[in-house]
Amino acid sequence: MDLMPTPEQDAIRDSVRSFLDKELPMSRVRGLMGAPADAYDDLWRSAAGLGFFALGLPETLGGAGYAITEEMVLFEELGRSLAPGPWLGCVLAAHALAGGDDGARAALDRVVSGALRVAVCVDQWGGALSLRGDRVSGTRSAVLGAGLADAFLVVDDAGVVFVPAADAVRVEAAASLDATNPVGTVAFRHAPCTVLSHAETTPVRRAATLLACAEAVGGTARTVEMSVEYAKVRQQFGKPIGSFQAVKHRCADMAVRAEVARSATTYATVSVRDDAPDADFQVAVAKILAANAYVSNSADNVQNHGGMGFTWECDAHLYVKRARTFDATLGPRHAQLDALVAQFRAA
Amino acid sequence: MDITFTPEEERFRAQARAWLAEHAPEHQPAEHDLKARREYDLAWQRTLHDAGYAGISWPQQYGGRGASLMEQLIWYEEFARSGAHEPSTLFVGLNHGGPTLIARGSEEQKAFHLPKILRGEVVWCQGFSEPGAGSDLGGLSTRAVIDGDDLVVTGQKIWTSFAQIAEYQELLVRTDPDAPKHKGITWVICPMGLPGMEIREIRTMAGGSDFCEVFYDEVRIPRSNIVGALNDGWNVAMSTLSFERGTAFLSEQVRLTRLVDQLIDMARQTPFGGVSMGAPTSATTALADDEIARRLALLRAEVEALRSMTYRSVSRTARTGVPSSEASLIRLFFSELQQRVCGLAMEILGPQILAWDADGNPARLTPRQASAPSWVTQWLVAFSSTIAAGSKDIQRNIIGDRILGLPR
Repeated sequence: MDLMPTPEQDAIRDSVRSFLDKELPMSRVRGLMGAPADAYDDLWRSAAGLGFFALGLPETLGGAGYAITEEMVLFEELGRSLAPGPWLGCVLAAHALAGGDDGARAALDRVVSGALRVAVCVDQWGGALSLRGDRVSGTRSAVLGAGLADAFLVVDDAGVVFVPAADAVRVEAAASLDATNPVGTVAFRHAPCTVLSHAETTPVRRAATLLACAEAVGGTARTVEMSVEYAKVRQQFGKPIGSFQAVKHRCADMAVRAEVARSATTYATVSVRDDAPDADFQVAVAKILAANAYVSNSADNVQNHGGMGFTWECDAHLYVKRARTFDATLGPRHAQLDALVAQFRAA
Repeated sequence: MDITFTPEEERFRAQARAWLAEHAPEHQPAEHDLKARREYDLAWQRTLHDAGYAGISWPQQYGGRGASLMEQLIWYEEFARSGAHEPSTLFVGLNHGGPTLIARGSEEQKAFHLPKILRGEVVWCQGFSEPGAGSDLGGLSTRAVIDGDDLVVTGQKIWTSFAQIAEYQELLVRTDPDAPKHKGITWVICPMGLPGMEIREIRTMAGGSDFCEVFYDEVRIPRSNIVGALNDGWNVAMSTLSFERGTAFLSEQVRLTRLVDQLIDMARQTPFGGVSMGAPTSATTALADDEIARRLALLRAEVEALRSMTYRSVSRTARTGVPSSEASLIRLFFSELQQRVCGLAMEILGPQILAWDADGNPARLTPRQASAPSWVTQWLVAFSSTIAAGSKDIQRNIIGDRILGLPR
């Protein structure tokens, strides 16, 4: 048993962090707010060059041969820096396409090289889709990164389908609460698609939820860093505010929640990698506690920054909005709790 | 990253589980009968010792099992799962006094005391806190003056659990009143019952009297009982406290998971709803109530995360060889979580909690409600978990100062 990062995971973290520090500092993240899709092209190719989208693919498919535990590290770093764009869709699509036919493999190569961006729709907002042969119809609303994507990975009760952008796919970008994570509505009208799985949606749902949890873990940890950095330098009454227990103790509570979220997410990720019997339970636990931690910590981080924290200029609000986006998607807390309740009641 | 144990570790788990199932004594003494608890705990410790399970974390050269960190974790998990009684009157000897002697004691002190602690022959208590030195332990003022071969101790200690049934006390005294406060303290083994000592029981809000005040009026303790050097007691004590915040709490963390499972089972059987205006109006159970059920689910998720945190902490310690300061994160989360668990039990039980005998005698309304008194007692006792061993406020200071590096 060992739940601490391996030396390889530490190396992945270092490499991803130095890339993101250079390519996606907060000034750049803010610069991408409202930017058109092509503003992401160079970023995507550079990230692909570092193997972001192939970390968990087998080496025979040009991947690094790692598992979801290493992808977790990547997403912690993406979440820490509030990286905008459909990162999750691309990584999930690469896995889903890897099991497909030659056409799927061609799309896979383009995803891995950063030439094709994929947004993922797991939440079934907009109702069930109808899937007839290789044509899909229906609507998905509040799709993260919809306006930045060249294709869609749609998870539905009927299965998992890959839908390239086409005339039969209409994307309507919407104003977004989280400007670093723009949403849109996607309408499929008898759109040509590749069916990657007919019924089995568990692996992609688990992976989507856990990698989103990893992003939340990274963001949650970042709120602790931001609060601590500020509390060390901001002076009032002739002292740094971090020396006051009211602030210090709030930071301590933030640190506890961050560790709770990280521990639960790490354990759940290893459970899913190993296909442990209680993997779904662990995923629900991780989602509940990562949401608790991110929502609470991002709010406390605003408070710790005082009047500055309430401004648009301070980054604290960006984490607040990302946290709410995370909580609202992929099974909000009440739904995850109800899933656990159903298990108790059935026992 | 790995959440499985090696075949060797799994074999140890199977052995421990089988042994505990066979040997863990079933009947537990009444909470308020300290003499009976002492005899019970000592006998249980002897049984553990004879089977090679005493001092699970102690080095083999001192008679312990010398178990690896993973085996310790497995042992505590199995111990909690078996429902075996925790020998709480022996906690200080096994987890404070003994480990301190191992780290800092002389060969004579080790040879005399360690086997007695391990074999279940003696009870130890702690003499650290004073009325004027609680969270600020370094401010303690119980004096000891050197007179020939003796330390002559005058002062008062408080919150001394099990002083009235103990043979020895780990005692902190001020031996140099002129030195800076952390540099004039000495750690000494105090045999209980010496002339000039007086013990008074303190009744707690839970009704029992585990706690005592201990008064010292020119009590003479041989200098040979000093552990470590004269005036180096703060460093000696810190080795004990860091141990306490390391592995000593593993077992209670594991037991809390079991407690939540018991709470869910209790909620399944407890009638609920419609009681606010008199007799129950519906035949539903607490688990059928959606609000209660979601709160139970959150607690279940939180104890699961507590286990993952513990695993991460053990993993970290296994790599570095020393208990990590992150243990304060776990301690704070655990102690508040335990209180939430017990608080929800009170809400679920509702009027059943009202018939509770403060002397600790279980008052049972009907056989069906037999669980109520023990939940009440656990709830009351849990108030101490955010006070004892570093209050939650001190834990937050430690996290702020040592982990986050915030200014003092």
